[in-house]
Amino acid sequence: MLSTAVRPALRASAAAALRPATVAPPNAATYATLREIEGRLKSIRNIEKITKTMKIVASTKLTRAQRAMADSRTYGQTSNTVFEKAETKPIEAEGKKDLIIVCSSDKGLCGGIHSGLSRTTRRMLAAKSDIELVIVGEKCKAQLGRSNGKNVVLNFAGIGKNVPTYADAQAIADQVSLLSTDYASVKIMHNKFLNASSYEPVTVEAFSEEAIANSPNFAAFEIEDETLSNLREYALANSLYWALTEGHACEISARRNAMDNASSNANDMINKFQILYNRTRQSVITGELVEIITGAIASEDM
Amino acid sequence: MAFAWKAAGLTYNRYLAVAARVVRRSLKEEKRLQAERRGDMDLRFAKWENGKQGDMASLAKANASAMAEHAA
Repeated sequence: MLSTAVRPALRASAAAALRPATVAPPNAATYATLREIEGRLKSIRNIEKITKTMKIVASTKLTRAQRAMADSRTYGQTSNTVFEKAETKPIEAEGKKDLIIVCSSDKGLCGGIHSGLSRTTRRMLAAKSDIELVIVGEKCKAQLGRSNGKNVVLNFAGIGKNVPTYADAQAIADQVSLLSTDYASVKIMHNKFLNASSYEPVTVEAFSEEAIANSPNFAAFEIEDETLSNLREYALANSLYWALTEGHACEISARRNAMDNASSNANDMINKFQILYNRTRQSVITGELVEIITGAIASEDM
Repeated sequence: MAFAWKAAGLTYNRYLAVAARVVRRSLKEEKRLQAERRGDMDLRFAKWENGKQGDMASLAKANASAMAEHAA
């Protein structure tokens, strides 16, 4: 009867295996790493699930955002045709401040589109210091508020949950036109949608009343003085709407790409860890087998 | 040409928003619900002074009170 003969020997070897594990764990280390790898694998799988879901959400939102962008672009361009035909130029007034409206959003996890806007703004601030900023969205506020807090006059939050509405643009335009300072030029900065993977911060000019009144072909439109301020406010809202929706489309598209990359990175890591996990498990099993066999042989000799 | 809404302190954009709201509200029920979502505005804003952010406030309320002040 081998089994009865082996049992005490096995118990002895098990005790021998236990003893070093409690004192100093050279053997237990492999078990621990195995569990560690398993834990890490699990967390990466969860992250991959999250990024994949976010990618799907962004993809479904993207079509709507792009449609809104195409519509609003027509809007903004039509509104700007007046100024093109009138050959309106921003006035070069001394001692007057410029205003930049930066159109970002509240949410991150979409690559570098917010920091791209911030960087361009900082470059413009470096070239000309008496510029004031109106910031739409929390992300650029955090970035620019830290470095150029003195230049900020207004900031808006709550944008970017959904496709921006014209009501959003109107409310912002109202608040901007209520600002007390008379600006030489108002620029609206937003991300331009070049294609699904590249965006570029651009500025759209929103002219002041003086600039409109001084434009060379202004007489052709027969605008009365009283309606001029209406035109300016309306044009500002149109341009803002265009900027907001185009920026929104860029953000969603960038988020889709970022989440796509994150998912594929997670996939790579899962593969790597799975192989490592299997290999470690195999070596642990081999080690155990060797121990049992040596134990059995040793007890046979007795 | 004097505008009644201008005398009431409204800006042109506010005037347009009110007009648009009236049109949306007069639509049929199912169309109205869809259209009214386009008129939603729930922004908050803060004024900055000397590099410090002020308190966040509702933009709609601030606009309304600012226009009430401008009323002649």
